[in-house]
Amino acid sequence: MSTPARRRLMRDFKRLQEDPPTGVSGAPTDNNIMIWNAVIFGYVILDLPHDTPFEDGTFKLTIEFTEEYPNKPPTVRFVSKMFHPNVYADGSICLDILQNRWSPTYDVSAILTSIQSLLSDPNPNSPANSMAAQLYKENRREYEKRVKACVEQSFVD
Amino acid sequence: MGDATGEAEAKVDAQVNQDVLIMEQQRQIEEEISEAIPLVGAKEDLLGTLEKEYISDPIYSMKAKDLSSKYSSIRRTRPDGNCFFRAFAYAYFERLLTCKDDYKGFYDIVSKSKDDLIELGFPQFTLEDFYETFMEVVERIGSGDMTQDELHELFNNQGQSNYIVVYLRLITSGKLQRDADFYLNFIDGNRTMTAFCHQEVEPMFKESDHIHIIALSAALNVGVRVRYMDRGDSAQVIAHDFPEGSAPAVHLLYRPGHYDILYEQ
Repeated sequence: MSTPARRRLMRDFKRLQEDPPTGVSGAPTDNNIMIWNAVIFGYVILDLPHDTPFEDGTFKLTIEFTEEYPNKPPTVRFVSKMFHPNVYADGSICLDILQNRWSPTYDVSAILTSIQSLLSDPNPNSPANSMAAQLYKENRREYEKRVKACVEQSFVD
Repeated sequence: MGDATGEAEAKVDAQVNQDVLIMEQQRQIEEEISEAIPLVGAKEDLLGTLEKEYISDPIYSMKAKDLSSKYSSIRRTRPDGNCFFRAFAYAYFERLLTCKDDYKGFYDIVSKSKDDLIELGFPQFTLEDFYETFMEVVERIGSGDMTQDELHELFNNQGQSNYIVVYLRLITSGKLQRDADFYLNFIDGNRTMTAFCHQEVEPMFKESDHIHIIALSAALNVGVRVRYMDRGDSAQVIAHDFPEGSAPAVHLLYRPGHYDILYEQ
């Protein structure tokens, strides 16, 4: 049955295929348009002053939509193991646009690119992983070491 | 000291995703409301329904009487944070069903609204989705291919009803950003107008304030009269017209935190 949510998800998918942003990809699972698999590639964002230790990682995510999409945000979770100040142990992500600052004008492409920039530009003041937040602020070398371990793990997964 | 340890443990526990727990609870509350109250209800006799509601409240009873000297009926909307936008859209579309004189001007404004919003930097791809749904409804009204019952059904269909609300929110946001120099005077803090719109206007389920009403009524050139029913001393229910001095095409009843639709005598 075609509902606004399903119709919109078909449009999102079409746009993601026709006009894919650099370093992200996503597609509905075979038998359910409400559940998507996505991949974010960590890469250097040119206008940031620093490198990102997430470079070269390929991180897998799932995105679950409800019939209320796009009026409500989907639930997005990393499946790949992450070490990041704004990612919880279960892979869910603390990002304002996925919660109280969600706007119906965001689509899947906008969600994935926002998460991609969160990787290289974390917000340690609103931590979901306090260890990662602390290391990010106080011991950047150790932080980068832990992140690089995730990056290597992401090739295996 | 035991307490302090307990607190520390609670903090560690907070690493369990609190956001998810809060959102889950919010979802449950919303579900309860949505099971009890339709998005837009049936027309009710004003005096009867409000008198019953305020039987033991002298101030509100007095105000209900005053209101009933000017208005015959009320139509309730679901208190989900979208009530202003939904009440506005329903009341004005309902008027357009019979008032063909207003249609042409409204059609011209909304049909070019998409280009205005794209020019302001709204993402074209998603904007079009809302615009098309909105215009489909507007065009059906214009062609005479819509009955009152169909309109009512449409506004109670969550998908379509919410798409109309989203598009009105975007038009409101566009107006606020276009005339930011003026509207910035009405918002608190050091937010930019774009930030205010991202936080308070564009997200669904965010309640509306005066500034939303002023911007939307100005953007669409549709007069709105809001009747304020509160604990104030006056025996009368005070009216505010938006934009100031305009002839009202839509009448709304405001009770703290909520808007419903009013019908004149």
